[in-house]
Amino acid sequence: MSALTFTLKTTPAQRIDCSPLTPDRLTNMSLADIAAVALVTGNHTERVDSLFDISGDNSSDIAIVNSCDKLDFIGHNMTTGRISVTGNVGAYLGQFMEGGQIEVNGNSDIYTACEMKAGQIKINGNAGDFVGGARPGYKNGMTGGTVIVTGNTGARTGDHMRRGMILIEGDAGDYCGARMVSGTVAVLGQVGAHLGYGMKRGTLLLTQAPAQGISANFNDCGSHTLAFLPLLFASFSKLDSKFASVESFSRVQRYAGDIGGIGMGEILVKL
Amino acid sequence: MIINGVTIDETFAEAFPMKGTRLIITAHNAKWAMISAQAFTGFATSVIACGCEAGIERELDSSETPDGRPGVAVLIFAMGGKGLAKQVETRSGQCVLTSPTSALFSGLESETEMALGQNLRYFGDGFQISKMIDGKRYWRIPVMDGEFLTQEKTGVAAAVGGGNFLVLAESQPQALAACEAAIEEMKKIPNVIMPFPGGVVRSGSKVGSKFKALNASTNDAFCPTLKGQTKSDLSPEVESVMEIVIDGLTKEDIDKAMRVGIQAVCDLGAENGIRRISAGNYGGKLGPFHFHLQEIMA
Repeated sequence: MSALTFTLKTTPAQRIDCSPLTPDRLTNMSLADIAAVALVTGNHTERVDSLFDISGDNSSDIAIVNSCDKLDFIGHNMTTGRISVTGNVGAYLGQFMEGGQIEVNGNSDIYTACEMKAGQIKINGNAGDFVGGARPGYKNGMTGGTVIVTGNTGARTGDHMRRGMILIEGDAGDYCGARMVSGTVAVLGQVGAHLGYGMKRGTLLLTQAPAQGISANFNDCGSHTLAFLPLLFASFSKLDSKFASVESFSRVQRYAGDIGGIGMGEILVKL
Repeated sequence: MIINGVTIDETFAEAFPMKGTRLIITAHNAKWAMISAQAFTGFATSVIACGCEAGIERELDSSETPDGRPGVAVLIFAMGGKGLAKQVETRSGQCVLTSPTSALFSGLESETEMALGQNLRYFGDGFQISKMIDGKRYWRIPVMDGEFLTQEKTGVAAAVGGGNFLVLAESQPQALAACEAAIEEMKKIPNVIMPFPGGVVRSGSKVGSKFKALNASTNDAFCPTLKGQTKSDLSPEVESVMEIVIDGLTKEDIDKAMRVGIQAVCDLGAENGIRRISAGNYGGKLGPFHFHLQEIMA
């Protein structure tokens, strides 16, 4: 069996809601049925085969080829299987995802891993704002799973994040970890301004000190050797990521905040 | 059956089902891991009065522990899951949490789980931090020397307690030397502990007593000073009897431990004053697990 492949015919004029194209939704469907699935684009619907060339037959392994940043909701609600994307993707990649894997060889737009529950998303490129965040008006962002971004992320990474891990190999934008409730965001590169703004709990793990310093809303708790860090790094070792080869460390400077709120979050900076 | 001049009685040890778990205690160095483990397994010789039976299984080097520090594996057994959970919680809280530089992890995977650090976390008074790593929850509890790290849950296994054998010797020093040799070998077997002091018990008991308040009393049939006073099971030349009690995660583990232990005693043989190997049982009415000595040594 070969991967069920959707090759985008042309760059669409309108955004396309790709949420029906998941292993869960397409399982046990014939190619004819899949071709007839209606996708919402703009203010109307189109058949899948009017937008994509379809080939392959393994609905648990889906490939989206020639993708562009107008393909939204890829991997929406998926619980199993794998989706690989060649090209950029739009907003809400992996929203509500409960399992399986998504890999994007390109950049993702805003709200990647929005309210994700489990599984793994890997972006071999950059991710937009609100990675792992909550929908506007909602209080709980990502509640589980792992997001790996090999490039940079936009602003408000981990906004309202409640559980799970976001691993950023490049830089994170402004307001990284803002309003975070729990979970872990680790950054190998630099972070932007207002790190951990409104953070309640959770961990921001940095391998280098922020160029813009630590916000006044975080209090220095001193330098410490934390026993959980070697366990965390050991868990990274099986990931296909730079984090797998980061030399384990347990010695960090600990800052607690945001003391403008309950102040139970922490920024850990490698020493 | 006679091995090297030592008679192996045609009898069996009677053991009963227990619940058990393995915990891994780590620390800054092996010395402090052992101190914590010894505290955790203290006063845990018999469920009769201690509420559990616990012991040190073995030392672990840094490559064998979750946090890459030296550690000690301990096994703890109780008659039921609730009793085990209570003992694990109180001992973890008073003996491991309090021990400098310590961390505490589950050493047993099982579908059935019970709390390990789940309730200890409240010691953190709201400053405790949860971390999910590889699907397992850990608690970081701030303490005066830094942070106490503990896994939230540990697995519970159906286990076996009360495997035993008796060493009958011509003198007390000879019985002790034989038991020491046996314990040395038995410590090499995984999944078992010998919970009594140094692994050896000199006060084996029988069920019941002439005193109503007591459930167990001295095993007078094996007390050498009572040879002329009670229905003794000892021949005139036997002057001292010591017992080794074994708890294990499975019957097979206890089988192995008994075999190597009895063999070590028999290796000393009659020339070192060892006369017989026997075992404690209650007529087969108390426990479903029977360890027939001659079958084990066949």
